[in-house]
Amino acid sequence: MKLSPVGQLIALDDIGVDRGGIPVLRGVNLNLDESRVVGVAGLNGSGKTTLLRLIATLLAPSSGAGRVLDKELGSPGVYDVRDKIGMISHTPAILPELTQRENLVHFSKLSGADTGQVEKLLQVVGLDEAADRRADASSFGMQRRVEVARLLMTNPMVLLLDEAFSGLDSEAQELIGALIGRTRSKGGVVVMVSHDATQLRGHADRVLNLRSGRLEEMS
Amino acid sequence: MTRVQVLLGLAAIAMIVGLWFAFTAPVDAFQGEYSRIINVHVPSMWLAFLAFGVTAFGSIMWLIRKNLRWDRLAEASAEIGVLFSAIGLFTGMTWGEAVWGRAWDWGDARLATTAVMFFVYVGYLALRRATPDPEARARRSAILGTIAVIQVPLVYFSVNMFRTLHQTQTIRPDGAAMPDEMLVAMLINVAVFTFLYIALMIARIDVAKAEASAAQTQDLAGDAVKPPLLSEVEDV
Amino acid sequence: MSFWNQAGEISRIDLMVERRVGDVFRIIIPFAIVSLLVFPLALGVDLTGISLIGPAVFWALGILFGMQVALRQAANDSVEKRDLYALLGVDPAARFVGRAMSGSVLMIGFLAALLAAMIILYSPGLPDGWVGPMIAASVLMAIGLTELGTLAGEVTAGLRNRNALASLIVAPLALPLVIGASQVLEALSSSAGILPWILLLAATDLALAVAGVGLARPLEEASR
Repeated sequence: MKLSPVGQLIALDDIGVDRGGIPVLRGVNLNLDESRVVGVAGLNGSGKTTLLRLIATLLAPSSGAGRVLDKELGSPGVYDVRDKIGMISHTPAILPELTQRENLVHFSKLSGADTGQVEKLLQVVGLDEAADRRADASSFGMQRRVEVARLLMTNPMVLLLDEAFSGLDSEAQELIGALIGRTRSKGGVVVMVSHDATQLRGHADRVLNLRSGRLEEMS
Repeated sequence: MTRVQVLLGLAAIAMIVGLWFAFTAPVDAFQGEYSRIINVHVPSMWLAFLAFGVTAFGSIMWLIRKNLRWDRLAEASAEIGVLFSAIGLFTGMTWGEAVWGRAWDWGDARLATTAVMFFVYVGYLALRRATPDPEARARRSAILGTIAVIQVPLVYFSVNMFRTLHQTQTIRPDGAAMPDEMLVAMLINVAVFTFLYIALMIARIDVAKAEASAAQTQDLAGDAVKPPLLSEVEDV
Repeated sequence: MSFWNQAGEISRIDLMVERRVGDVFRIIIPFAIVSLLVFPLALGVDLTGISLIGPAVFWALGILFGMQVALRQAANDSVEKRDLYALLGVDPAARFVGRAMSGSVLMIGFLAALLAAMIILYSPGLPDGWVGPMIAASVLMAIGLTELGTLAGEVTAGLRNRNALASLIVAPLALPLVIGASQVLEALSSSAGILPWILLLAATDLALAVAGVGLARPLEEASR
């Protein structure tokens, strides 16, 4: 596998991924330079989440080869770049027994970020008055805002969004949009998946369709 | 002074009176001073049975009326019942260690079933704590509280059903198995503990009502969520 | 953040969550003590026999309920949470060590409560000088059982029925711990040396720690 050209943060070359012995992705090609936003649309079960987790280096390819942040997928080198990748999953990833504030402090300590910025982050995402509410007593929208705050703190170069706009009010959707814009302006790439192509078009430079395990340009 | 402070103050005075009777009553010839423990042990167990019975009553009433005040009654009574069954077990084991030479006797079915009853209501309180929503908590607790009360008659009559070293019921239809002065002291302490139970119940229910009121006047959940500061996202 | 800082932070949060939800102290410990009551009732009232089986019942229930203490973190895991920790740059080995540390603290508390209840309920005839060896054996068993449970949780991550499966994996592998711990008291009673058994426990703990740290990354990859 040749080195990715300078500025190419994601390079997938004929990638295949099997899950439970069943092929999910086949012959996926994707190359993203810095400051690009791509949307991936597809039906339920088309492999969108698998694609995101592959790019997040959490899955290894079954065939083909790929590089993310210049580390080969499936190699031990991916451990060096995982902290530069950020993801919003379908289900919010927070600790339910902790408050919003405690969650962010915990994340900042683990990632080595400055815990002093937690209060400012809570203000920016509009949770400063709800910061002491436990996450399991908070709405889905509030949990998503905590995730956005986490990503503002960790400043990923590769931002992955899995149905991130689903179920959110307009303010929260604008917040996600601002996160996308900031990632792009700082030279990062964004890959967003959704079953709603219209929503993707509002933020992405191009929209691809994931069908039969392959990525195709969307007409 | 609030009524709770008055009641608890009166209960404290009553306990001093009860203690006076406990320490001035004659002692058992064999057990010596340890026989005085009966003035705490028996009232504690009586109070536990009463409390769990009230929990069952509150549970049944909630199932019928669906009014949270019955749930508050059941909860308060269960907490007090767990406390006093623990006191009853502890004083029973202390007495057993002193008189029988062992804290626990498996020959005494009432001890074992009392311990089981204690843990049943520990489970009841754990269930309540694990359920954040008040309505769901009341429903689940009411069902468990109704079923759990089966333990109470089982404990009381177990002494008549199993071969045991424990004393049979102290007060039986054909009269009491102790001198009158000891019986009077014990019955006074039963009355004192019952008064203490009522005072603690009122105090605990007042706290529960205050918590419920505070929840009612709390800001709406959504009001705490403010619009995001979109202009600051870039630079944070 | 350094390895030990990450491990310490994971440990801190785990203990904070336990303080809030009380899985171990409000549910598992009372359940284990109720089980202590079940044995004599099932065996029938024989005071001599009950005194003799007390320590054995303690170790057996220690393993069986200790598994619930050890597996409770794994039970609350999710794919999203595991992915989150990976993308925060948390070293899988640090996560193993952190969980083992907090789990060991809770396990020691659990065994201490169970031991106290066993002594009260069973009046076992314990040999002179039993306190120190019993504490050492219990602490070493606590650490080993926690490490086993944490490993089993990782091995079964994402699988259906993982709790029962993880328990099945832990139970036979915990045999050296049960044997080592129970034989400490036996050796004391017969005035034989307890050192071989303490060393067995310590060696098991060390082997599990090395396995946990060394296999953390492959286990994390295998669980996806």
